[in-house]
Amino acid sequence: MNSKAWMTISLLVTCLVAAFALSEVYAVTKPKIEQQKIDATNSALGQVLATAQSFKEVEKESLWYGLDQSGAKTGIVVRSGLRGYGGPVPVLVGLDLAGRIVGIKVASPAEGLKETPGLGLKAMDERFWKQFLGADSTVALKKDGGTVDAISGATITSRAVARGVAQAIRKYSEHLKP
Amino acid sequence: MNLSKIFIGAFLVNNILLMRFIGLCSFFGVSTSMDTSVGMSAAVVFVTMLATWVCWMLWHALLLPFGLGFLRTAVFILVIAGLVQFVEMFLKKYVRGLYSAMGIYLPLITTNCAILAVTFLNVDYGFNLLQATVYALGVGAGYSLAIILFAAVRERLEDSPISPSFRGYPIAFVGASLISLAFLGFANLFGVSI
Amino acid sequence: MTAQRPSRLRYLTNGIIKENPVLILMIGLCPVLATSTSARDALGMSAAASFVLIFSNVVVSLVRKFVQPSIRIPIFIIIISTFVTIIDYVLQAYQPALYRMLGVFVPLIVVNCIILGRAEAFAYGHGVFDSFLDGLGNALGFTLALVILGSLREFFAVGTIFGKTLTPAWYRSAPMLFTIFPPGAFFIIGILKALAVRLKLGK
Repeated sequence: MNSKAWMTISLLVTCLVAAFALSEVYAVTKPKIEQQKIDATNSALGQVLATAQSFKEVEKESLWYGLDQSGAKTGIVVRSGLRGYGGPVPVLVGLDLAGRIVGIKVASPAEGLKETPGLGLKAMDERFWKQFLGADSTVALKKDGGTVDAISGATITSRAVARGVAQAIRKYSEHLKP
Repeated sequence: MNLSKIFIGAFLVNNILLMRFIGLCSFFGVSTSMDTSVGMSAAVVFVTMLATWVCWMLWHALLLPFGLGFLRTAVFILVIAGLVQFVEMFLKKYVRGLYSAMGIYLPLITTNCAILAVTFLNVDYGFNLLQATVYALGVGAGYSLAIILFAAVRERLEDSPISPSFRGYPIAFVGASLISLAFLGFANLFGVSI
Repeated sequence: MTAQRPSRLRYLTNGIIKENPVLILMIGLCPVLATSTSARDALGMSAAASFVLIFSNVVVSLVRKFVQPSIRIPIFIIIISTFVTIIDYVLQAYQPALYRMLGVFVPLIVVNCIILGRAEAFAYGHGVFDSFLDGLGNALGFTLALVILGSLREFFAVGTIFGKTLTPAWYRSAPMLFTIFPPGAFFIIGILKALAVRLKLGK
């Protein structure tokens, strides 16, 4: 058989077989992956708003209502900070209906992004985060007139986090009505 | 997302070679001489830019709208392989000198993790075309900086008395460790976190 | 003088010590340094890469008679990227935590010099079973190197291996964090390689 024709055929066949195999694998794993994403989000949300049984996404990836068994609102969860690369790492903030912070954590990206291993905000210790609990939209660094101690050597990041949190609370405060 | 932050991040803070470990095969293989390092850097920057544009457009115009996301790995790497092939043919015909200087390093660019990583990260980070271009430039610049710095170190190492077990790769890695340590000092520069 | 064909077992054991891809040949390093921040992550990465290596070696060997030399590289790439995509989606679905940790290094398996290297240097010219052995040997060697590196880094920086605490509390309160950062990774691999040279492992 003509060599050029054979080349084309073998390439074509390989591509087709590969594409077919992949579409099958994709179809099989897709539902499981969707479920994983939902579970991961709910788990993260549950960690910052323990009083809620379920969550309703109100604004895509930014605002959720926490609902108890009867469907009544127990609080909200807001996401502050920029998404992904550079800049402040996104932070989930759980607020009760009085506008006070009841839970706060770094939101792990659900899409499998790899931020550089083990460094930066993710490795920050609890002492920094604990300072936010009980605060409201006036939260700020000590250097800026508030009560939060910045992480030594990471003032810019700490300030960005504090500012981001305060901003997010203010932005969504109207949702705090039951 | 601030363009200058994207660039600084890719260039220094999250340097692709020294902080993110991507592109190491070529890093250690090519950095034995300054000439090959400079040549490789140029080729990497060039191919990365082209690959970024082609892959970004393919993703947004073809793969995403038609739900063909699962073909991303295959398509992107084939694009890169094709581009390298094309660059090789072009150099062979028009810039013979560079072609023979690069030797086997040219086809090696295909397996350069950094280029594929850039095409993937542009999608994962949700960059628009301009941001992706800046990011690719930053990564290319970061790669060049790291490899040229390292080549300078390695050329000095050649003439230095090194104990037998450490000659060659081992001392090169220790050297890389020190340069990487220096780059760690860029962490949180201009607020870009690592 | 006729050359002796190496015994089958050689194909398997070569890749583990004598021609260990990471420590002797020094290829496929990208994922090694990035994913060896702990022993467990190192194991996860090795498993994913091993899957792709073994399967692509087998498939390349199976189809080698139908692939002309001039287009063998693109064909290898298609085959390898197929398996990479498979493990990508399988991990996403069944091991999301590991997948998040490995991040961009899962798709980067496709440019791992080891896999393309073995396909070209071995699988294209040998039978299916031998290619399987070769893939398995290299996979084991890769895993060995990665897990050792991961264990060392985890041990010095956190005081544990695979999460099991092995150091006294006074060490863990002020551990050598250096090893978990990028410079530490480079440093440890340099030391390991020097050790390999000293012990003449590649000879």
